[in-house]
Amino acid sequence: MTEEQAEAFMNAAAAALDLPVDPAHRPGVIANLRLAARMASLVEGKALTVHQEPAPVFRP
Amino acid sequence: MKAAAIAQAIRRGQRRAIDVTEEALADIAARDGRFNAFTEVTAARARAEALAVDQTIAAGRDPGPLAGVPYAVKNLFDLEGIATLAGSKIERDAKPAARDGFLVRKMAAAGAVCTGALNMDEYAYGFTTENAHEGACRNPHDVTRIAGGSSGGSAAAVAAGLVPITLGSDTNGSIRVPSSLCGIFGLKPTYGRLSRAGSYPFVASLDHLGPFAGDLTDLALAYDVLQGFDPEDPAQTRQPLEPVTPRLSAGIEGLRFAVADGHFARNGHAEAFAAVEAIARVAGATRRLVVPDAARGRAAAFLITMAEGGNLHMADLRTRAQDFDPGTRDRFLAGAMLPAHWITQAQRLRADYRASVLKLFAETDILIAPATPFAATPIGQANIELEGELVPIRPNLGIFTQPISCIGLPVLAVPLADPTVAGTPNGLPIGVQLIAAPWREDVLFRAAAALERAGVVSAPPVRA
Repeated sequence: MTEEQAEAFMNAAAAALDLPVDPAHRPGVIANLRLAARMASLVEGKALTVHQEPAPVFRP
Repeated sequence: MKAAAIAQAIRRGQRRAIDVTEEALADIAARDGRFNAFTEVTAARARAEALAVDQTIAAGRDPGPLAGVPYAVKNLFDLEGIATLAGSKIERDAKPAARDGFLVRKMAAAGAVCTGALNMDEYAYGFTTENAHEGACRNPHDVTRIAGGSSGGSAAAVAAGLVPITLGSDTNGSIRVPSSLCGIFGLKPTYGRLSRAGSYPFVASLDHLGPFAGDLTDLALAYDVLQGFDPEDPAQTRQPLEPVTPRLSAGIEGLRFAVADGHFARNGHAEAFAAVEAIARVAGATRRLVVPDAARGRAAAFLITMAEGGNLHMADLRTRAQDFDPGTRDRFLAGAMLPAHWITQAQRLRADYRASVLKLFAETDILIAPATPFAATPIGQANIELEGELVPIRPNLGIFTQPISCIGLPVLAVPLADPTVAGTPNGLPIGVQLIAAPWREDVLFRAAAALERAGVVSAPPVRA
């Protein structure tokens, strides 16, 4: 995720979520979105089958 | 003074709980200014609890195994009559807690005396306890350095000798990181072992609570009284009470140890690996086992933490983001925006990663891994060199703890008795993680006790 992509994503998500981001907080949010994207690429680096369910299990 | 000795003296009538409490309160008042471990001292409560212990003894009844032992809790535990701050400024507006958290009630039932609430990273999101609202917590071994976090006050209070036992929480390493940097024992039990009800949540998928102590016997005593089923924690698993105190003398005969390899053998300074080797030598660990997908597991925990944390604080992020600690705010804001796909994939990977790691326990009983990539860094320092690259300290302090709490394995963080053996800067403390299969806290205590008897594991003394 480039800086520009992160900024565009932040703007879109902030609008969709009704979550205002103060101009002073924008650089930090962008940096954290880019860090999260690096973590996501690690997570996505392993292929899972459709039968592999998420860890949390709800018990009624 | 150790908790076990205090309780014994009080139970035998050699000392009064109120006298021990007054001494502890005076000591905290005199010395905590140096460490900034306490955010609130609950003197009236402590005196009332101590007097109740003395009255119980006078009436000939059993005052409990922790009779008159002073302790304190990370300020995310509910204490009746006090707002639960969780390290924040925002919660100063919250109503006082209506009753104590479950683990605080357990400590009270065992006769322990609560002396106060302790400093932490805001909303438990951090590894340094450089809290913008309360000030940084300072490491008793060198007050110019961090105590670690997020349960920094819990570790510093014990290392400084202000109280023998504290309670804290660990989502990604917040018990194990400060234990390592302050040179004390800390237990992150199996996910679902101890009730979290009556504590301020952070990441429901990953939150654990647990005790700290300067001595393994005291840690075992605390852990044994904290166990018990609580229907108010939806993530708690109904387990039988499994006291570990009787296991401390069992020895390590028959226990298999292995050193965690791969992710756990890089990404740190030489002292972190030297500490592992020093303990592995005494434990007789000759095998090395690669923990498969550890970096992916860490990444999954990282994403789940951001997203659940962001979700939890959405209302305040929308209306008063400026009131958050700058150290946590931007991460919460970004976390609130993460795509659902990343989080669901992280939770699916987490299950896959758990299955891979659990297979290791067919070959070993205990994995030995570094607890932190380096010893305590100076307060205010943002970056550190790691493998030739300048990296931020805050997230990297959890690089070895985060992959383990991701899948809820029990961990005992043990301090290297002589950190100079590992070559830490100025002999600063450093700890090591002993990791077991789910629900096997018993083998961790057995192993740590044997290592303590062998002299390789103990809290290094604080030099004045």
